[in-house]
Amino acid sequence: MRAAVRTGWRIGAAAALRGRAGRPLSQAAGEGSGAEGGSGGSGGGSGSREAVERLVREHPVVVFMKGSPAQPLCGFSNAVVQILRLHGVEDYRAHDVLQDPDLRQGIKDYSNWPTIPQVYLNGEFVGGCDILLQMHQNGDLVEELKKLGIRSALLDAEKDQEKK
Amino acid sequence: NAALSCSPSPMRGPLLAAAGGAMGGAGGPLARTIRAKLTAALQPTHLEVRDDSPRHGGPPGAETHFGVLVVSGRFAGLPPLQRHRLVHEALRAELAGPLHALQVTARTPEQWQSDPRVPSAPPCLGGSKREQRRG
Repeated sequence: MRAAVRTGWRIGAAAALRGRAGRPLSQAAGEGSGAEGGSGGSGGGSGSREAVERLVREHPVVVFMKGSPAQPLCGFSNAVVQILRLHGVEDYRAHDVLQDPDLRQGIKDYSNWPTIPQVYLNGEFVGGCDILLQMHQNGDLVEELKKLGIRSALLDAEKDQEKK
Repeated sequence: NAALSCSPSPMRGPLLAAAGGAMGGAGGPLARTIRAKLTAALQPTHLEVRDDSPRHGGPPGAETHFGVLVVSGRFAGLPPLQRHRLVHEALRAELAGPLHALQVTARTPEQWQSDPRVPSAPPCLGGSKREQRRG
C-alpha cells in the first residue's frame, strides 16, 4: 500500500518572508471586527447574514481568522496570512473571530463552512487554509488575484530571477 | 510566551501508542468514527486519519484536531471547495461537536497516483487558549 509522503510545513519562497514581518497593513479592521455598527448584538447582530454580507463585500480580499495579521493566534490562520504576504497582498480586511463570538458563528453559517480561517475574494468564499495553500502551489491564486486587479509579488520575483 | 506546547506530547497507553501513526484503523473513538463515516460517504481507495491534537496543547487522547487524506473517485470533476464540502458533510455532527479543526486533503485516485505528498499540520500558535492568557 502506498503511503503518503509527508511534506514539512513550508510555504515556498521563504526568503520572501524575511523583512516583511511587522509591515503595517494599510488598514486593520481585525481588532475592531466587533465594532462595525458599534453594536455587539443589537438589531441583527454582528453575526447576522446582513452583517456578514457587508463584511465580505467590503474589500476584494477579506479574511476571517483567529488573531490578527500582525499576530495570528492559530497555525491555520497564520498560514493564510503568510500566503497572502508572499503574494504581496498586505491591504486586505482581516476579522478576528476570537473577539466576536457572534461573528465567529455567523461566518460559519453564512458560508456553511465549519472552520476558521475563511477567505473571501470579491465577496465570494474560496475556502480555508488548505484550499488557499493549494491555490498558491498550483498558480491559481496568482490568477485569482489578477482578476481582482492585484498583481502578485511572486510574478515580480520570477521576473527578477530571470534577469540574473 | 512559548510555554504552550507545540510539540507532540508523549503518547500514553497502548491504544494511544497504536494511534501514533494513525495510518491504520487504530486510534481513539473519534478517529474511528471519522474513518467510518468517511469510508461510508466517499468509498475512498485510500484514507488516512491523523490526530494532530497533541500538537495543540491538548492532553493525550484529546481528539480535537484532525487531518484527513481522502482519495476517492467521488471527487472527480469537483473543485477543491466542493470536495471539502463533501468531507465536511460526512462529518457534520463531529464538526458541530468535539472536532475543533480539520485539515483536508482530497484527491482523485489519479491525482494521488501522481502526487503522494500530503502537507503536515501547521504549527500551533495557541488559539483561543493563548487569547485568554493574554486577557
